[in-house]
Amino acid sequence: MKAHRANAEPRWVRLLLTGIALGFLGLFLGLPLIAVFIEALAAGVPAYLAALADSEARHAIMLTLLIALIVLPFNILFGVAAAWAIARFEFRGKSLLVTLIDLPFAVSPVVAGMLFILLFGARGLFGPWLSDHDFRIIFAVPGMVLATMFITFPFVARELIPLMQSQGKDEEEAAVSLGASGWQMFWRVTLPNIKWGLLYGVILANARAMGEFGAVSVVSGHIRGETNTLPLHVEILYNEYNAVGAFAAASVLALLALVTLVAKSIVEWRMQKETEMLEASLPPEKTE
Amino acid sequence: MSIEIKNVVKRFGSFVALDDISLDIPTGELVALLGPSGCGKTTLLRIIAGMESADAGEVSFSGQEATHLHARDRNVGFVFQHYALFRHMTVFENVAFGLRVKAKKQRPAEAEIRKRVMDLLGLVQLDWLADRYPSQLSGGQRQRIALARALAVEPKVLLLDEPFGALDTKVRKELRRWLRRLHDEMHISSVFVTHDQEEALEVADRVVVMNHGRIEQIGSPDEVYSNPASPFVYQFLGNVNVFHNRLHGEWADVGSGAEADGKALSFVRPHDIDIEHAPVAGGLEAQVQDVHAIGPVVRVELLHGSELVEVELTRERADVLTLSNGQRVWLKPRQVKVFAAESPLEEAGSGI
Amino acid sequence: MHMNNKSHRVLPGFGLSLGYTLVYLSLLVLIPLSALLLKAGSLSFSEFWKIATAPQALSSYRVTFGSSFAAALINAFFGLIVAWVLVRYPFPGKRFVDALVDLPFALPTAVAGITLATIYAGNGWIGRHLEPFGIQIAYTPNGIVVALAFISLPFVVRTLQPVIEDIEAEVEEAAAMLGATRWQTFARVIFPAIFPALLTGFTLAFSRAIGEFGSVIFIAGNMPMVSEITPLLIISKLEQQDVVGATALAVVMLVISFIMLLTINMLQWWAANRHKGART
Repeated sequence: MKAHRANAEPRWVRLLLTGIALGFLGLFLGLPLIAVFIEALAAGVPAYLAALADSEARHAIMLTLLIALIVLPFNILFGVAAAWAIARFEFRGKSLLVTLIDLPFAVSPVVAGMLFILLFGARGLFGPWLSDHDFRIIFAVPGMVLATMFITFPFVARELIPLMQSQGKDEEEAAVSLGASGWQMFWRVTLPNIKWGLLYGVILANARAMGEFGAVSVVSGHIRGETNTLPLHVEILYNEYNAVGAFAAASVLALLALVTLVAKSIVEWRMQKETEMLEASLPPEKTE
Repeated sequence: MSIEIKNVVKRFGSFVALDDISLDIPTGELVALLGPSGCGKTTLLRIIAGMESADAGEVSFSGQEATHLHARDRNVGFVFQHYALFRHMTVFENVAFGLRVKAKKQRPAEAEIRKRVMDLLGLVQLDWLADRYPSQLSGGQRQRIALARALAVEPKVLLLDEPFGALDTKVRKELRRWLRRLHDEMHISSVFVTHDQEEALEVADRVVVMNHGRIEQIGSPDEVYSNPASPFVYQFLGNVNVFHNRLHGEWADVGSGAEADGKALSFVRPHDIDIEHAPVAGGLEAQVQDVHAIGPVVRVELLHGSELVEVELTRERADVLTLSNGQRVWLKPRQVKVFAAESPLEEAGSGI
Repeated sequence: MHMNNKSHRVLPGFGLSLGYTLVYLSLLVLIPLSALLLKAGSLSFSEFWKIATAPQALSSYRVTFGSSFAAALINAFFGLIVAWVLVRYPFPGKRFVDALVDLPFALPTAVAGITLATIYAGNGWIGRHLEPFGIQIAYTPNGIVVALAFISLPFVVRTLQPVIEDIEAEVEEAAAMLGATRWQTFARVIFPAIFPALLTGFTLAFSRAIGEFGSVIFIAGNMPMVSEITPLLIISKLEQQDVVGATALAVVMLVISFIMLLTINMLQWWAANRHKGART
């Protein structure tokens, strides 16, 4: 960190600003985080554990994990494929494609969920065909998977595209000129170079996939013990004034958030080291 | 392995990078592709390597058509301008890469790989760095590792893109001599791209001078320097004084005397001009502006009319002449080359 | 002899990777979007306009955009201070605090919603201290602003941090040497340099807040015409089987999303290029 001694603010200004920043963050972010756990334990540890052991709660946890497990592999593949195409090749319509990938970040989750109702809902485009074949997408797990996919697919791609662009394609071309096949090049050169960025994207996508509420809520139908993910379970219990149960389920999600933050910080630290390495491995002076 | 390039054309959008290039590179030669940036030299190198495909034309190796052969099947060693070392692999693994990715049948045993890699690291005198990562090496070391990596697959052709471009002057000079020695030991054909004329003249057997996607001249370093085929080559290879014949008829006569109608340009290198105190036949009258002693040579700037002329003298000659500023003297060229001035002169990179 | 150079790329996998990308995007984004447009196409423009400008819809826009704007403003102010302190001032536990800033990205919105509602309720940790002053937050439009400010806080901080890091100390030193007070240096040198990033962060926060649903519904009270946001209105129309009405509102939201996306892209382009001409 650079020292700004020559032109630093007066001491009282620094203290004031630091105080405002920390006070704001503490009151605004820290307090709610603590409140989740205190509310969850408000009726004692046994009540907390009982709330989590409840069969509907356990089902919600399993369904949340299941959806994430289905969604993430597809989104990882998509992220790597999209980043490879965009960062390594020139083609027409590339910037349109990049904008399209950003779309889920801008669209309201509720609208995202609704898109799938219009496609697969009872009165949707494919609704009649689906009900003829006795296949449910809306108010069932497939719809929740689709909605979660929509919301989370940009994360990996968004992380990898700038990373791969900044790394350039020299190393991959070198691998090919040394006789490597496409797979050998990918596994031995590309993947080791992007692994931290990939992991970072996966962590973010996972947090969102497990925590998504709006989009999943629209397509789930809130059928207890069937289409309730953990966030939806939180909502149901809260609306039934079962505060302990709601906050117990919420505390699991808050723990997930904390794990996400820690994992994210570790990966960020690793990526920073890699970047330093990359900068160090640039030649000392450029030609031309 | 020899390389034959026939009528190769490459465009990027509306920009013509290579305009009908034909070139033969015989087995065992060390050839420099020399030219200013944007002249197409790197594109040509990448087309030879199979990294880029030509819009038209053919590339063959030892008479065998290779135009559509994939880069990985060309058996070409390529050294990238910024080395492209695999940053997450040790030096050893970098060099071993080409052996490890071979199909199982052709892949040497682990012990053989180890021996080959250590031999190569010995050849580039960096065997003590085998366990380091690329980020822990200096520029010159990286360059040599990149070379060892390219040589590991025993290529028949070695291609180098600005191999010394990113190094400082001292390391650059060392590596030049070393590359020359290495090439002679390996008995392969090598092609390297450079924009530095000194580098091309010192290292290469043959120099291919390129400009605007065309080959201006092919020849030995001595040929292209002493007998440039075009004004561009003259200006690109070393300092030169340009005289407009219209003004300096007498100098054209001293030269080849070809273009007597006056629409021509005369080129004279600074060290091909002698200075006399007394008027001489065909000499140009000039006034001494400035005299600098630079190491072994003395550079004299003179004014002929309104044009600045540069002359390089040996120290001995300068001592005899004892020039001083403002003095009137006569310039006598030893060697003049005259070109028809059909096209306006182009800026020539590192000319004067 | 002419060759098709598109079929010859030295790096492999172009067709495969672009193919997968396009198929995936088509199935997940393009086809669903066209279903929406198809549905919207069944409405005449006057019908669409009637639904889109119904009093309840108009009031929901007012609540959604007003609250989002207020939340983004709060974040612009506090976010700037937080980013500045995190970049410039050393203090113990800084790495922890820095990581905490991302909490709203990591914490599921439903959790944020119920927790904020509990804290800011009249008997909650914070709410009970505000009640005596007649300030109500939970179950009023104020609650929406709090929830939206919570979920969109990281955007401003994370957009500003790298930009503040990039300010060269020499520039500030130069200003000081020329006689500027610290405040003048900030107002005339630093602030103009970080303003585009601040605006980008503001827009990102605003854009995220407009679409937010999960955290808001718990704290808003959801009174029609008072504290009902547009996404909730869409859902209640869906629940009443009014798919056409929901579609019309979804189209409005979608158009606004596109405008926001365009604005953000333009802002980022402007921030990156505004001094390019002068530099070279």
